[in-house]
Amino acid sequence: MIIEMARVRIAGPRALLDPALRLLQDLGDLHLITPDAPDRRGAPGEGPSPRLLKHARRMLDDLDHVLAALPAGAAAGAPAPARPLSLPPMARRLRGWRRELDGFARMRAELLEEQALLLQYRTFFEAFDPLLRRPPRWPDARASFVLLRAGAAASLGELERKLQAAAGSQVELHARQLPSGETAVLLLAAGSAAAPVETLLAAARLDELPAPRSLGEPDLLRAMPALRARMDEIETRLRANEARRVEIAGQARPELDVLQLQLHDLLLLAEAEAQVRIGELLFVVEGWMPGPAVAPLRARMARELGPDLVVSTVSTEPWTRGDAPVALANPRLFRPFELVTRAFPLPRYGSIDPTPFVAIFFPMFFGLMMGDVGYGVLLALAAGIVRRRSRPGGNARAAAEMALGCALFAIAFGVLFGEFFGTLGAAFGMRPLAFDRENALAPFLIFTIALGAVHIVLGLVLAIIGAWRQGERRKAAGRGLTIAMIVLTALALLAAFEVLPSRFFTPAAIAVLIAFPVLIALEGIIAVIELMSAFGHILSYARIMALGTASLMLAMIANRMVGALGSAVVGMAFALLFHLVNFAIGLFSPTIHALRLHYVEFFGEFYSPGGATYRPLAHWRAASRAASA
Amino acid sequence: MELIWIVFASAAAVAITGLATAWAQGRIGPALAASLAEKPELATTAIIMVAIPETMVILGFVVAVMILLRGAG
Repeated sequence: MIIEMARVRIAGPRALLDPALRLLQDLGDLHLITPDAPDRRGAPGEGPSPRLLKHARRMLDDLDHVLAALPAGAAAGAPAPARPLSLPPMARRLRGWRRELDGFARMRAELLEEQALLLQYRTFFEAFDPLLRRPPRWPDARASFVLLRAGAAASLGELERKLQAAAGSQVELHARQLPSGETAVLLLAAGSAAAPVETLLAAARLDELPAPRSLGEPDLLRAMPALRARMDEIETRLRANEARRVEIAGQARPELDVLQLQLHDLLLLAEAEAQVRIGELLFVVEGWMPGPAVAPLRARMARELGPDLVVSTVSTEPWTRGDAPVALANPRLFRPFELVTRAFPLPRYGSIDPTPFVAIFFPMFFGLMMGDVGYGVLLALAAGIVRRRSRPGGNARAAAEMALGCALFAIAFGVLFGEFFGTLGAAFGMRPLAFDRENALAPFLIFTIALGAVHIVLGLVLAIIGAWRQGERRKAAGRGLTIAMIVLTALALLAAFEVLPSRFFTPAAIAVLIAFPVLIALEGIIAVIELMSAFGHILSYARIMALGTASLMLAMIANRMVGALGSAVVGMAFALLFHLVNFAIGLFSPTIHALRLHYVEFFGEFYSPGGATYRPLAHWRAASRAASA
Repeated sequence: MELIWIVFASAAAVAITGLATAWAQGRIGPALAASLAEKPELATTAIIMVAIPETMVILGFVVAVMILLRGAG
């Protein structure tokens, strides 16, 4: 339901403005609005100065940057400091941390890039490691590394023959197959044979793998020890870099957390201060807050700031103020269903919050459509797992709790319909307690349409309450007459089909005919269209029967597969698969249609969107928690 | 002979409304997908919009059931 708001005005001497705003921030109840009064603030005196705010914004930018650069989950090494922190030294420290962390980030990026380049040589190291570790055969030996693409290994024999012809025993060729399919070739040549080997490789269009430039050694053979040392050094520097970041995180995080709160709170106070009207001697603050919170606010103000502050309630007509913010408060059991309501724009202040009705009818419609003990238990298990793994207060937790409610209704209706994975329950002696959905199509259809009539009439009753609260008496009377016409039409139909004694038919029909022109007189010709649409909406609830029957038929087909496919094992496998598909459809389709019945049919009768969100002046953490809820 | 017509009428009630629903959803779906790419906050409206034409086939199904029930009775 929507919390009834009181419009509150707080006035007092200018000297008490800052402590008054701080107290309001501590209480976190007042949604500020700008009072309808002139502002005569002269020289800046109250609240934070523009220069301080500019510094605070810059510090927040530095702080966000530093927090993003620190490793996540590093344990705090230092104790949390007491608030408030002095801002100038913190600004200098923040700058220092930002510079240091930026330097680390640059260094880390360069080291990782170099490491990635050097790692390309790892395959060569591993392939020729034993060869490279032994002393070279020639003191002036030169190594050439060549990479042959996959499938080109056949040309090795030809290359070896040509090398023997050009340099004789002054050259060695070693080849290794790499995991990638390529062939790594190492050519070791004496100094005197280096030139013919190079000429031969150029003629064969084989490019040598160059040594990394950062090592300052063009010959890969001699560069190899330096390369290994460099890789070890990179690893060491990366570890040192990470250790220093963890160290900074341990030292700084407690301070950063406190500073973050302090800076955000300062900026929130500055925003609030801009909404205050200040005269030569007095200030005025105005806003909305829940009615029951006014008395505690007044008492706390008087206790902490003295009798000079006046807290008065301005509003006298609580539900007619369209500009009042909207806060929803529902019992714990209904709260998850606010997820359905919040998917729509908030209801207008003074209208009705449909959450409690959604909490009853949404799972009921879902349960009627699924209506199976087996599927209900599966859904309850899945919802239980999601609930256990989800964050309290999050959307996943709310969805899981909604699903639990839906599962309970599905199990309950499954018992009433005698269904356990379709007709499988009959094999264990399960019998329908209400009606058998397979054969009792007409009773099921009548039941769902009757349920639709109840739901739509409830929507119209809520429309009467909303219109009455807004002072729209004529509209309220029109909605009431629409209810009367729906009930009378239902009576006439029941009498016509002899469900009720036939003597009811004529009075009911005459009453409908009399009510019709009265309805047009009250609401105009549009009332006729609305009445017809209300009847259309009631018929739309037949979808509950249609989807419920379809779900049962699919389950029955799944069960018949066991005996229909020859092999019992194959039949069982297909039956399980079909039940799984039916369960998936049974989750999706009833959810969509239960939502649609609420959003289009039910909400269409009374829902009045356009409420402003209630955002009280509060401390940053509480405000951000409320915004994400 | 009469039974054939009852069955045929019942099947036609579902088939024609099914085709009509498919045609409507085929037009609505791509338009909504394009809207959602630009404005993901329209997801709720999109679900409702796609579900609206299904009323046709559901009412077709109800009519088919009524034809069968009346025919059998």
